[in-house]
Amino acid sequence: MAEKLVPVVCPYCGVGCRFYIKTVDGYPVGIEYATDIPGISNENGKLCPKGNAAVEYLLAKDRLKKPLKAKEQGKFVEISWSEAIKEVAERLKAYAKDDPNQLMFFGSARTFNEPNYLIQKLARMLGTNNVDHCARLCHAPTVTGLKQVFGAGAMTNTYKDIEEANVIFIIGHNYAETHPVGFRYVLKAKERGAKVIVADPRFTRTAWHADIFLQHYPGSDVALINGLIHVIIKEKLYDPKFVRERCVGFDEVVKAVEKFTPEFVEKVTGVPAELIVEAARTFATAGKGVITWAMGLTQHTHGTENVKLLGTLAAICGYQGKEGAGCSPMRGQNNVQGACDMAALPNVFPGYQAVTSEEKRKFFEEFWGVELSGEVGLTTVEAAYAVDEGKVKAYYVMGENPVISEANANHVMHVLEKLEFMVVQDIVPTPTMEFADIVLPAAAMLENEGSLTNTERRVQWSFQAAKPPGEARPDWWIISEIGKAVGFDKDGSKGFIYNDAADVLREINACTPQYRGITPERLKANLAGIHWPCPSPDHPGTRVLYKERFLTPDGKAHLAAVPEYKGPVELPDEEYPFLLTTYRYVGMYHTLTMTARSDALNKRWPEPLAEIHPDDAAKLGIKTGDWIKIETRRGVYPIKVKVTRTIKKGVVGVPWHWAANVLTNDALDPVAKIPETKACACRVAKISEEEAKKLMEKLPSIVPRIEVVKG
Amino acid sequence: MARKTIFIDFSKCIECRACEVACEREHNGKSFINVFEWQEMAAMALNCRHCETAPCVEVCPTNALYRDKDGAVILAPQRCIGCLMCGIVCPFGIPELDLINKVMGKCDLCAQRRAEGKEPACAATCPTDALIFGDFDEIQRKRREKFTERAIEVAKKAEKISLLGV
Repeated sequence: MAEKLVPVVCPYCGVGCRFYIKTVDGYPVGIEYATDIPGISNENGKLCPKGNAAVEYLLAKDRLKKPLKAKEQGKFVEISWSEAIKEVAERLKAYAKDDPNQLMFFGSARTFNEPNYLIQKLARMLGTNNVDHCARLCHAPTVTGLKQVFGAGAMTNTYKDIEEANVIFIIGHNYAETHPVGFRYVLKAKERGAKVIVADPRFTRTAWHADIFLQHYPGSDVALINGLIHVIIKEKLYDPKFVRERCVGFDEVVKAVEKFTPEFVEKVTGVPAELIVEAARTFATAGKGVITWAMGLTQHTHGTENVKLLGTLAAICGYQGKEGAGCSPMRGQNNVQGACDMAALPNVFPGYQAVTSEEKRKFFEEFWGVELSGEVGLTTVEAAYAVDEGKVKAYYVMGENPVISEANANHVMHVLEKLEFMVVQDIVPTPTMEFADIVLPAAAMLENEGSLTNTERRVQWSFQAAKPPGEARPDWWIISEIGKAVGFDKDGSKGFIYNDAADVLREINACTPQYRGITPERLKANLAGIHWPCPSPDHPGTRVLYKERFLTPDGKAHLAAVPEYKGPVELPDEEYPFLLTTYRYVGMYHTLTMTARSDALNKRWPEPLAEIHPDDAAKLGIKTGDWIKIETRRGVYPIKVKVTRTIKKGVVGVPWHWAANVLTNDALDPVAKIPETKACACRVAKISEEEAKKLMEKLPSIVPRIEVVKG
Repeated sequence: MARKTIFIDFSKCIECRACEVACEREHNGKSFINVFEWQEMAAMALNCRHCETAPCVEVCPTNALYRDKDGAVILAPQRCIGCLMCGIVCPFGIPELDLINKVMGKCDLCAQRRAEGKEPACAATCPTDALIFGDFDEIQRKRREKFTERAIEVAKKAEKISLLGV
């Protein structure tokens, strides 16, 4: 028996924790905490429940082991790898010949940088920029909003800076529940004497630790943040030197926030005026402050405006370009940042180089040796509507599960049914797979090696800890085989011939300015990783961005003025009197493909519960444990009730993991194209258990049984 | 000899239940630490306190409960007769009956991990340091130090302000 400890990166959230997988003869048997690696993002090897259960999903009984081909919807026959690759390549080629924009590719924030780089390379070499991934559904406004204010869309600081801050403003983010290990740094700052301000429609576990808690209505963030800026400007608490020297557009901001007096904001958000004043004073006078946010803020039709306002709030207080300050958007999956950096996005090449820029396109045409499209491609939600119109005909989905993750899921399912051809590449059967024509079994992240970029721009190498089951193969291998079969079989960067993931990373080094110095050799030697930008192999990496200048063309922060208050597009009315919002559970992860296969987690978080305020519950005649149906203009959802004072009156909260997206609104933010998943109007009615069971059958099944029939 | 055990700072608990999952992994699918939520405003993990004068050890008729060399209260299942006395005298209701084997089970402070020089799994994993594996005197001393430091800091600040004539 050869027992080994393999250092890996946690396959779950964006904190990017390190731990060891204990293996016996290549078979994973347990984990060990990485207490002996200095400088990693999870200090002392700490892990949340998901990390502790990380081995369980690798051993799931229903892992995909062979490529499958559909005979009819949901029924598959096993085929060989060569058949599968040939078929996929031929179909892709046929669509590309006709019109490459009939194709749509999905990258994945749950796999390494390398496959994400390869999938966008494949899409672009085929002639289309239709490539996107789930960041569209979580942090697209962060990327577009911060880019407009500061010039780049990434977290401007690191966890170390959260620990060193004197005030931490957490908005639209249940930090303790979504990133427990990241919350460690908030508590450490608090222990040092820092103040914590939390804004959320629910009194969350994060709010337990708040010094000031602002309970606003879902979707009223613009008013709330404008209110804070109003008080800061009125009481002259901003940093005049920083504003004068490093910002432009301050006068417009002063004008725009004029009407957002605390009294007006109280009316719109439901937060008492004196609390707004207190929060503004606490935040502006602390000296060093960090703002952190996540999906509660971004998943709105005004998500980009929210983010721009937060950037403005940080800038006028002078909380940029120094240690212990900055803006920290918290990413949900361990490689959202990496998938964005690798350009699994429709508008940029790797390293955020715009596809519309003549000069950048020239570079990549030379680099990849093909002619490239300069037209911005489709985003996920836009692609769904393009399928409706018959413009997009084929999807290549790598490690994504749009049936559960996208807003207005009923429409998504209707679209997937309509597709002519769909490839799904994943590790376990997902509800999305039921619509696939070809299923490619992938190796899970821990069975495979490569680099990942966590939320604080830290690039780390994860080593292979276990053998993939059956014939499952690493993502980079599958895409490079398809690339070769399509006909891109030249040497070097012009083709898809790679020996291992490190080869791909070397190619990324060559074409991505931020990653130039992040070589596979350096990453393998330095387990704590390197923060990008790292422009050369001897550069130590960058902890705090914008120390001297911002990345905007003139080097200054462009403050954003948002004079109009816009709530959610769908507000409660007589027919739909409640406001619906979604949230997550600490032990469950996104669309449940991994956590639903762990006994330890399933036991503790077995089912969703809808949160309703006692007053609303009394009106509806429901109590904890009753079944209700929630109905919106898009769908019906049966769920059990938990009556609690932690939620605001008039609001219904539902965890989204169990397909609650059949309810949510897919109205888009005009800039970031993110759907408004976090707020929509709904109505609630009590139902019997039988009726609930009946309604449940119509929902997509979380752990589907894929039927394999004989050829 | 300084005896180490797990101390719980419930003001830091975020009810993530990582300790439960970690304990379950170390103890073949059974968690000996439990997180309780209090009025949806706070939570606290509770495990065996390994009491100084442990009533469970004193009452056990078959000496199935004993102290190991680190001072942890350990249960030897082969000597246990499942009489439930320990469960009844424990002020925290910690020993639990294993319904299949009809013997008691309880926290052993991860004996196997301690033998390898590691911390118990729950304390090793706790993301917010709400669980600390340590020596009582040392923890008390650290807390006193921290609060004194804070007091000195505040005093210095006050001094500065008075010098400025504010």
